[in-house]
Amino acid sequence: MSARTFFRAGSFLLAAVLVTGLACASCASAPPAPADTRIVIFHSNDIHGKIDNFAKVAAIIAREKRSGADVFYFCAGDNFTGNPIIDQYEPPGEPMLELLNRLGLDLLCPGNHEFDIGLENLKRFAARARFPFLSANIEAPAGVLPQLRRSVVLRTRGGVTIAVFGLLQVEAGNGLPSTHPDKVRGFKFSEPLAKAREMEKLRRGNQVFLALTHIGYEDDLRLAAQMPELDAIIGGHSHTRVDPAETVNGVLVAQAGSDNRFLGRVELLVRGGRVAAKKGELIDLGGKLAEDPEVKAMIVRFNQNPAFERVIGEAPFAIEGKDALGSLMTDAICRSHGLDIAFQNNGGIRLNRLPEKITLKDVYTLDPFGNQVVEIAMNAEEIRSLVRASFAKGGDIDLQVSGLSYTVRTGADRLIREIQLRGPDGQPLAEGRTFKVGVSSYVASSYDFAHKDPGRGLGSTTAEALIRFLEGRPDLSVYRGIQRAFQDPPPTGGRY
Amino acid sequence: MQIKVNGRTVEIFSGACVRDVLRKYSQITWKQVQKGTKAVFDDHGHEIGLDGELSAGARLMVKRVVRTGPRT
Repeated sequence: MSARTFFRAGSFLLAAVLVTGLACASCASAPPAPADTRIVIFHSNDIHGKIDNFAKVAAIIAREKRSGADVFYFCAGDNFTGNPIIDQYEPPGEPMLELLNRLGLDLLCPGNHEFDIGLENLKRFAARARFPFLSANIEAPAGVLPQLRRSVVLRTRGGVTIAVFGLLQVEAGNGLPSTHPDKVRGFKFSEPLAKAREMEKLRRGNQVFLALTHIGYEDDLRLAAQMPELDAIIGGHSHTRVDPAETVNGVLVAQAGSDNRFLGRVELLVRGGRVAAKKGELIDLGGKLAEDPEVKAMIVRFNQNPAFERVIGEAPFAIEGKDALGSLMTDAICRSHGLDIAFQNNGGIRLNRLPEKITLKDVYTLDPFGNQVVEIAMNAEEIRSLVRASFAKGGDIDLQVSGLSYTVRTGADRLIREIQLRGPDGQPLAEGRTFKVGVSSYVASSYDFAHKDPGRGLGSTTAEALIRFLEGRPDLSVYRGIQRAFQDPPPTGGRY
Repeated sequence: MQIKVNGRTVEIFSGACVRDVLRKYSQITWKQVQKGTKAVFDDHGHEIGLDGELSAGARLMVKRVVRTGPRT
C-alpha cells in the first residue's frame, strides 16, 4: 500500500469512526455492529460507444477486487450513439455487450440512447446480457425485455444487502425519453421523480439503498432533496463530471462525465447495519494506466469493424461535386424523416466524390461530424432568411437543397438583390405555406436566420439518414449533373 | 427551448446538446472551448461534456481553464 493510499484509507476510517460515534449517540438501540463491510462501486455513464478505455477499466476493477472489498460495477446508461465504428457494428450493440459482459457489469440503468438501436436489437442485446436492466419508470410491452426490473437487491459476501432502483429521463413535452418516438413505440414511461417515491419502501430491511439513474444531474439533486433515505445516487445523462461526489441532503450524488474518460468510484463503509461513511471520486482514464490485455485485444478487434467495408448503395457512376453530393444528402434527410425541404452546408460535405459502390466508410468520410437532423417549421420568407445568411458567410452558394431550388441574384456590388425560391414543379414556392424543413444541428445552431419555430432534434444523425436512404436502393442516376442552387450572375470562374 | 449561457438566454431547438448551444451563443467562445482554453460548467460548478444533453431552463457557465490539451 502506498503512503498516499494509506493516508486516504486512514482518513476514511477516521471519518467513519466519527460518523458512527455521532450516530450511536442518538441511537442507543442500534443492532449490534457486524464486522465492517467495505463496498466499492465503480460506475460509468454516457459511454456513447467510446470503448478504448475499457482495458484500463478492467484492470482497475480487477485490482480493487484483490484488495478484499466487495466490488460492483454499475452503468448509468447511454452506451450507444456517438461512435460510428461501434454504432454500425453487426449485430448492433455487439461490442458494448461483449465488453460489459467481460467486465462483469452488475447493473445497467438504460438511458434514452439505449433505445436508438431499435427494439429488436435491444431485445437481442438484453437477452445476451449477463446483467439486469434497471428502471422503475419504464413499462415494457408484455413479453418484451423480461430482463427489465424496477429494482434489485445485491448482496455482499458477508450478507450486507444493497437495494438499487433505476430511473430514466423523460421529456417534459411528450413524456418520452429523448430518442426517436418510433424507437419506443409500445413502451410506457412515467415521471421519474414521482415514481421514485414508490421505491422508498426498499429502505426497510436493506443496509444500503441506492438509485442508479439516467435523469441528469439537476434531477439527481432533486431526487436527493426528496429522498434523504438514499445513501447514494449514481447518475448519468447530463455528462456531468462530479469530482468529488457531492453530498446533498445527506445523499452522495455521483456522475462520471462522459465518453469513458473517467471511471467513477464510490466507496461505502457499512457498520452496524448502516452506511457509516461514504465518498466518491473520479479516476481519470486519460493517463498511462495498466490495461487488461484480453480486453485490449477485444477493443482492437471491434475497432476493425468489417461492416464499414459493406456496400450499402450502388450508383451507375461516381457521384461528384458539392451539387450532386449535397442533393443526395438532402434528399436522404427529406425521405428518411418525411420532410418537405432539407438543407446541407457545403462545409459539411467532406468528400468530392462517392464511388459507384458506396460503403458505410464512404458515408462516414463524406459526413463525419455526427450532426443530428433538426426539423424546423418555416415559411418562404424564413427560408430566404436562411439562404441569405448562408450566402453572406462567403459571398457564394453555401447551402445545397432538396425539395426546392433557389437562385440568389446579386448586384455589381455582389450584395443580394433577390432570392427566388421554386418548388419541385418549377413554380414559385407558396408564400403562405409552412414547410417542414430539415437542417443539420450545425446549421441550426451556427447560422443566424429568422425562424419563429425553434425546432426539434429528430434523434438521428444526417449520416444515418443517408445510410437509410441508400439502403432503400434509390435511383442514383438522377445525381449526374444535378444543380438546385444558383447564383446570378455566376461568380467569375466559379461553377455557378 | 431556452438555455442560459453566462446569464444570457439562448433559444435553441429541443434536443440540443451543449455544443449546439455554445455555437449559437458565440462562435468565438465555441472556438475557445474547442481549443481547450475555456470549458463549460453547470450551475453547481461541475464541468460538463460538449455532448451533454440539456433540458429547457438549464444554466451554463463558460469559464477560462488551464489544461494540457484540447477537449472534444
